[in-house]
Amino acid sequence: MTATASLTAPQPHADLNLLSDTDFRAAVRGWIATNYPQDLRSPPKRLHAAEAMPWYKILSQQGWLAPGWPREYGGMGLTPSKLLILIEEMERYGCARLPDTGVTMVGPLLIAHGTDAQRAYHLPKILSGEVIWCQGYSEPNAGSDLAALRTSAVREGDQWVINGQKVWTTLGMDAQWIFVLARTNPQAAKQKGISFFLVPMDTPGVTVRSIINIDLHDEFAEVFFDDVRIPADAIVGAVNEGWTIAKNLLGFERLFLGSPKQSEGALDHLERLCDHLGKRGDYASLLNGLRMELEDHKSFYTTFADKVRRGDTLGPDVSMLKINQSALYQKIADRIMDVAGELGTLAGQVPDAPTLYPGSVFLQARPTSIYGGSSEIQRNIVARQVLGLGR
Amino acid sequence: MDVVNATGEDRLEGLRMLVGSAAGVAARDGDLKAVRQLRFGRPGLDRGRWSEISAMGWLGLRLPEAAGGAGLGMAEYAALTGEVGAALLPEPFIEAQLALDLMGKDAPAEALSGDRLILPAWLDAPDGLTIAGDITEAEGRISGRRRFVPMAAAADAFLVVSSEACWLIDAKAAGLSLEIEDTVDGGHTATLILDGVEADRLSAPDAKALEAAALATASALLGIMERAFAITLDYLKTRVQFGQPIGHFQALQHRAVDMEIEIGLTRAVLHDAIEAFDAGDDCRRITSRAKARAADAAMLVTREAVQLHGAIGYTDEADIGLFLRRAMVLAPRYGSAGFHRQRYGSLTEGRP
Repeated sequence: MTATASLTAPQPHADLNLLSDTDFRAAVRGWIATNYPQDLRSPPKRLHAAEAMPWYKILSQQGWLAPGWPREYGGMGLTPSKLLILIEEMERYGCARLPDTGVTMVGPLLIAHGTDAQRAYHLPKILSGEVIWCQGYSEPNAGSDLAALRTSAVREGDQWVINGQKVWTTLGMDAQWIFVLARTNPQAAKQKGISFFLVPMDTPGVTVRSIINIDLHDEFAEVFFDDVRIPADAIVGAVNEGWTIAKNLLGFERLFLGSPKQSEGALDHLERLCDHLGKRGDYASLLNGLRMELEDHKSFYTTFADKVRRGDTLGPDVSMLKINQSALYQKIADRIMDVAGELGTLAGQVPDAPTLYPGSVFLQARPTSIYGGSSEIQRNIVARQVLGLGR
Repeated sequence: MDVVNATGEDRLEGLRMLVGSAAGVAARDGDLKAVRQLRFGRPGLDRGRWSEISAMGWLGLRLPEAAGGAGLGMAEYAALTGEVGAALLPEPFIEAQLALDLMGKDAPAEALSGDRLILPAWLDAPDGLTIAGDITEAEGRISGRRRFVPMAAAADAFLVVSSEACWLIDAKAAGLSLEIEDTVDGGHTATLILDGVEADRLSAPDAKALEAAALATASALLGIMERAFAITLDYLKTRVQFGQPIGHFQALQHRAVDMEIEIGLTRAVLHDAIEAFDAGDDCRRITSRAKARAADAAMLVTREAVQLHGAIGYTDEADIGLFLRRAMVLAPRYGSAGFHRQRYGSLTEGRP
């Protein structure tokens, strides 16, 4: 294969780490422009699984669905610097976010902690788009205090019986499977008696109710478990060891939520908004300042992503990455509102510029400092576990 | 009695009574079901409540008694817009008042009585407090465009404003078309396209009317943040995590204090601006200070209010988000914080 050929049309499942960063960027840019479904460009709201599926399938067929997974499991095995380039190019083109819980959380979890049988069963279904996953962590009275969760799992013969309620389950209406933290030893100290389960959403006793968010999108769901019976091998890791796995998984989540993706998309939005208003020059200093902050954040991100690539476990310090990402994203979103004037008051897209929806960008930036552990909780983690302050 | 020049105590007592009387239509602690029901509908307001507001004399509040008004000042007007803000009422009280101010003695009686809702159309760009130009007039008909007219679907008539003149047009007039967009708070905003619309020409606008609207909006933003903060304080005292009310955590206590400081700053600046307005001074600089502070503070306080509520704050069913979304809509109205900072700078240039 000549270099030119790889530039114009990267082969499915090829190892793109062999390209230089410049060639990789050109190849990715060209491939996205050729293959991305035009009707999904810069959607104003997060897509539901059915809406995103065409793009999911295209990435799946190209072997680009799981850029961070090792190649042996069907991922791209990209180096962090190439992963950043991929993120930049996708954000720049306005590629929609996928229902990505399977790719960003379940995959890394099973690769690290699953059995061979669990990996063999679940990973291909994530890669093909056959199974969309959602997360069952938070409960109405166990949000920031996640370890206070009360959903229970009781062993009866060769089954586990789950009862309880989960909330803030992103795209819970769309998912076929959910991973659930449940209490398996009510007598133990609160972090000690928790286990980690994989549950099909069509199991009798599972009901889902959607929640409308502040941007008027049914992005979240509540999931109720009423005598839900699952087989004994639906557990990941050992009984009562779920908290350790969950914490490890939260590390992956913080790395993902700490990725510059959202800030990149928001800054692109701000730049396009300035162009639309004919004010790019007026805001040059603001835009340069934010661009530099974003580049600094990418450097920060790379240090953590490199660790994962080396196979090291992420420590509590990854919380800093998520704090900084959500702060930067929200700062850019705040500046979008400053610049937008009356355009920021619109509930939908700007009529003569449909790829602009400044009010929605602002609202969608709100929960990033809440979900995946609020910025306050992340600061507690860093203060206690990194800096050795307090309890 | 000349209320604006009344002694401090008398006027304060009058203000307290006025705010007390507002509770019937604009309650600070009322439930928000009625507000929710009107969201994203057309015309998006409650004409019955509009009649009540008019019957209480709010629309003529600042007009001289000889013109059928109450002869009250900015302090009274701002006190009421603060209550309307806190109650999240969708009725365009400030816009209707602006139209009355702009028309002055030409204001029709049925506008004062609330029977005819007249909304001003004066903007043609997404930000600012400068009346747009570009309205052409020929044989009693006008053509041009005006953007960002709040709650336009409810209007019986529009007051089209340019720097040279105002024109009154019927909302159903031939040649007038409206392009309506929903706003994040559940209201809407319209672009008016005027193509040879029959119009009554009135005198040129007094730009001071826009200063009054900016101050009134700053006060509405203050009402919004005060109530959002009160709801949040309550939540901090009742939501339990880690075995205690989350308000026991110092990190959250400090955030609450910072919100209280912003509210205090806004109240102080607004007080001075209102006093300057009622004294008849050129109050553009201090109006800019008040509107810039109120816009930024309201966004900060309502954003923080959502954050301190955690995930529930991000849902539509939680009332706290309604305050953020109303703040998003009012913050840029009559000039964003950025616009007013710039204006403050240019008005300050060359001063000693």
